[in-house]
Amino acid sequence: MSTAPRFDEIVHAPNRLQICAVLAAVDSADFATVREGLGVADSVLSKHIRVLHEAGYIEVHKATFASRVRTSLTLTEAGRAAYDGHVVALRAIVGGKGFRDTARRPGVPAE
Amino acid sequence: MASDEGWDGAAAAEIAPDEAARAISAIEASRSWLADRIIAPGWYHLAFGLLAGGAIAEAEMRSWVLFAWSVVGYTVGCSALMWLNQRRVGVAMKYFDACTRAIFTGHVMTLSALIAVACWLDLDRGIRGAFLAAGVLAVPLTVASGRWTDKLLRARLQAGQ
Repeated sequence: MSTAPRFDEIVHAPNRLQICAVLAAVDSADFATVREGLGVADSVLSKHIRVLHEAGYIEVHKATFASRVRTSLTLTEAGRAAYDGHVVALRAIVGGKGFRDTARRPGVPAE
Repeated sequence: MASDEGWDGAAAAEIAPDEAARAISAIEASRSWLADRIIAPGWYHLAFGLLAGGAIAEAEMRSWVLFAWSVVGYTVGCSALMWLNQRRVGVAMKYFDACTRAIFTGHVMTLSALIAVACWLDLDRGIRGAFLAAGVLAVPLTVASGRWTDKLLRARLQAGQ
């Protein structure tokens, strides 16, 4: 079954799109790994994670190992669906199919 | 990778193709970065090969005590290597799909066949050095199998699957 194009403003912000791109390919990723991939500060990544988490797109797990807390991130089913739909929408736009956004979320701050 | 100021069409009613293309490029860059990260370093597969080869070659010594220790060493060594790699990569993912599972199964069957042939040559035919030869052969076979799996994983990640 093909994914329907659905532009998602939460996912579209560059850093959040890259967070979703990484998490979509794996079961979970460490906070430090994602931060390294994006090349951003902890505070910047935390801000984006909070937005994605509040949207129900990612789950945040904390585990203590050898007295150190490891934070791992997982894309939820809703997050995966939003990301997949967003990628299909982007490809439709690039492909010149004239995709027009009909599913934008009101009230999401643009970055 | 792109900054948050990389494209600004999020507030527009219609997304421009060049903005969408930049977003797609950023996704592909993320996938490539992840694929590069997933690839195990050279010593990783070699260490697996040496563990497997050592465990097989050890049979040449004809000592049950050594055999027991080699099984323990192989098990602990493989677990430690996988744990180290997991820590290094920082992601958890399904390594096995149809292709990588087929490679793994083929590798296990090849090593089993090597051991069976070594047993036949040594125990039935009395040819010494069979286990040693099988152990030596197991090293490049394990390295090749690991690198082949890495190559498929890399392709899978870059394709976004």
